[in-house]
Amino acid sequence: MANFFLDFRIALRSLFQHRRRTLFLIVAIAGVTGLMVLLNALSTGISETMIRTATTLSSGHVNVGGFFKVTSSQCGPVVTDFAKVVDIVERNVPEMQHWVHRGRGWAKVISDTGSTQVGVTGIDIKNEPDFKRVVQVVSGNIEDLAQPNTMLVFESQVERLKVKVGDAVTLSAQTNRGAANTVDCRIVAIAKDMGLLSKFGTFVPVGTTRALYQLRPDTTGAIQIYLKPKYVPEVNAIAARLRKVLEEAGYRVMDPDANPFWMKFQTVNREDWTGQKLDVTTWEDESSFLTKTLMIVDGLRVVLLVILLAIVITGIMNTMWIAIRERTREIGTLRAIGMQRWGVLRMFLLECFQMGLLGTALGAVGGSVVAALINSASIKVPLGVQLFLMSDRLHLAVHATTLVKAGLTITLITTLAALYPAYRAARLPPVSAMSHFG
Amino acid sequence: MSKIRISVAAAALLASLALPHVAHATMTKGELVDFLKAVDLRQKSQGDWRSLIYMEQKEKGKVDVAYEAVVFRRSEDQKFIILFSQPKASQGQGYLRIDKNLWFYDPSVGKWERRTERERIGGTNSRRSDFDESRLAEEYDPEDNGEVKLGNYNAQVMTLHGKPDIDLAFPTIKLWVDKETKNILKREEYALSGRLLRTSFYSKWKKIYSESKKGDTWYPGEMRFYDEVEKANSTLIVIKSVDTKSLEANLFTKAWLESKSR
Repeated sequence: MANFFLDFRIALRSLFQHRRRTLFLIVAIAGVTGLMVLLNALSTGISETMIRTATTLSSGHVNVGGFFKVTSSQCGPVVTDFAKVVDIVERNVPEMQHWVHRGRGWAKVISDTGSTQVGVTGIDIKNEPDFKRVVQVVSGNIEDLAQPNTMLVFESQVERLKVKVGDAVTLSAQTNRGAANTVDCRIVAIAKDMGLLSKFGTFVPVGTTRALYQLRPDTTGAIQIYLKPKYVPEVNAIAARLRKVLEEAGYRVMDPDANPFWMKFQTVNREDWTGQKLDVTTWEDESSFLTKTLMIVDGLRVVLLVILLAIVITGIMNTMWIAIRERTREIGTLRAIGMQRWGVLRMFLLECFQMGLLGTALGAVGGSVVAALINSASIKVPLGVQLFLMSDRLHLAVHATTLVKAGLTITLITTLAALYPAYRAARLPPVSAMSHFG
Repeated sequence: MSKIRISVAAAALLASLALPHVAHATMTKGELVDFLKAVDLRQKSQGDWRSLIYMEQKEKGKVDVAYEAVVFRRSEDQKFIILFSQPKASQGQGYLRIDKNLWFYDPSVGKWERRTERERIGGTNSRRSDFDESRLAEEYDPEDNGEVKLGNYNAQVMTLHGKPDIDLAFPTIKLWVDKETKNILKREEYALSGRLLRTSFYSKWKKIYSESKKGDTWYPGEMRFYDEVEKANSTLIVIKSVDTKSLEANLFTKAWLESKSR
């Protein structure tokens, strides 16, 4: 142990002796670490925004939706007699925290001055505390959604429709039997945008969707199941179990398809069956068109970091070779006075470890500060970038565990980068090393 | 005295013009159904039909779009094709109705997509039924609303209610039909909610002799559709020419439509 601390002090003194070189490497390591922290924060920010947005606006952690086909060429996204399905869910999903049911539809919203196609979600606002907590209302009162034929829209839809709270709009859609229908609604709340999903979504009371699509009271669009936090990583296993249980209960269940429900109409319409089929999906399925983008961002992040780390490792190795060449006599002297080979190895590894630790610490702090500054600036991004960021604002999420992981990873890599040069230095014969002129 | 007589006569004339003409006798249900059947029969070709059409759509805040297309029909088995020929971007696209299914083909992706009967043809406010044979008597129950003067025409007004278990885009239609010729003059289409969705005007009625029918088939030279929910949106359909000669036997097939784009 005493030898270890001695080697530690020698390594530290050596770093101070070659200040310029050390500073250069520490800055490079800090830069890569800071970049890693920022990219991780961006990816985590996107992922968190996506989960928050998806599980508020369009999905539970697990969903039981489905399609009902009146004729083989026409389907509607409904679950009939849903109380029975809820009963099965409650008995077979002990991981569930709570469930809600929502209407699903697609309609044209027409105001006096504009129109737009939107997804229409029917909700029972009295039973959606999470929705009220997450959606930020900028104008109006979200509780008014309890009244019939009311509507909540988002800021970006207001730009297109040119409406305000209290204005009347018309919802125009086709029923599941293909008949044209309309419902007049009153805007009761305008909410802050929540990324891409909110650009195409509006919320109405569940009774309004039933009136628009002429559905019976025992029909809903989907049962959205919210799990206790510790079971959220197990969504896929729970969804698979639920599919099996529903099949055993006599329901026809669609094969797993990692796509949102609105991307399945063509496939379902092409199939020749009629009646009800259930579709069990997870939040990842319902926002898969977004998770694919996240995979691209993650992939780019990994590629960029690998390239940067390769450059840093090359720099470290090169510097170590130069250092060993310069300190060959010193190594010879240390070996002559009794330092073993593994002591020399340890000394050089400790030098790189200290550089890595200092560099990553500086980089982690720097990256966190930059992330905090970006978040506080609340930078609005263009629509094209929103497609990638899943948010209309740049949001970086920094977590302590991510910082520690980034620091340890890069410290380990920089330490290991010195392994081969240190090994070669340790194998120098003491006599020839002492007489080296370099 | 003569001045008073002139004044009285003028007042009587004005009154007769101002007040709508009301039928002196309401038509019975049977008479209405027969009337509606006559409206349908007038437009039925009872054979094959080919027409060249021009479609124009005006939508608020958007660029006007125009199409040229050919419509093929076969009364016998209710088969139907619309094949777009202009603009170039839409060339080869088409709709095919067989076995009560409406299919859309896009040669740029080489895929067939099943569509509903309520499909907006080419994104305009027209539907397949606007180009197909009239089947009002089969699909609706009429209700008498009397007679009115519509321009120069004496029009029979009817409200048509969709028959149960028939899937119709517009469950309620109000119809103005020229009493003399039984040509449709005006049509209002309502949603389930009772909201007026579309008003259509039919003008420049023309006839063509149909060999298979052994009689004349009538068609409107122009159809104008006005969106009543999104005002300022409108669609114009002009039927440029019609031919009732027999069509190829294999015309109403996916293969035929696909071959038109090769």
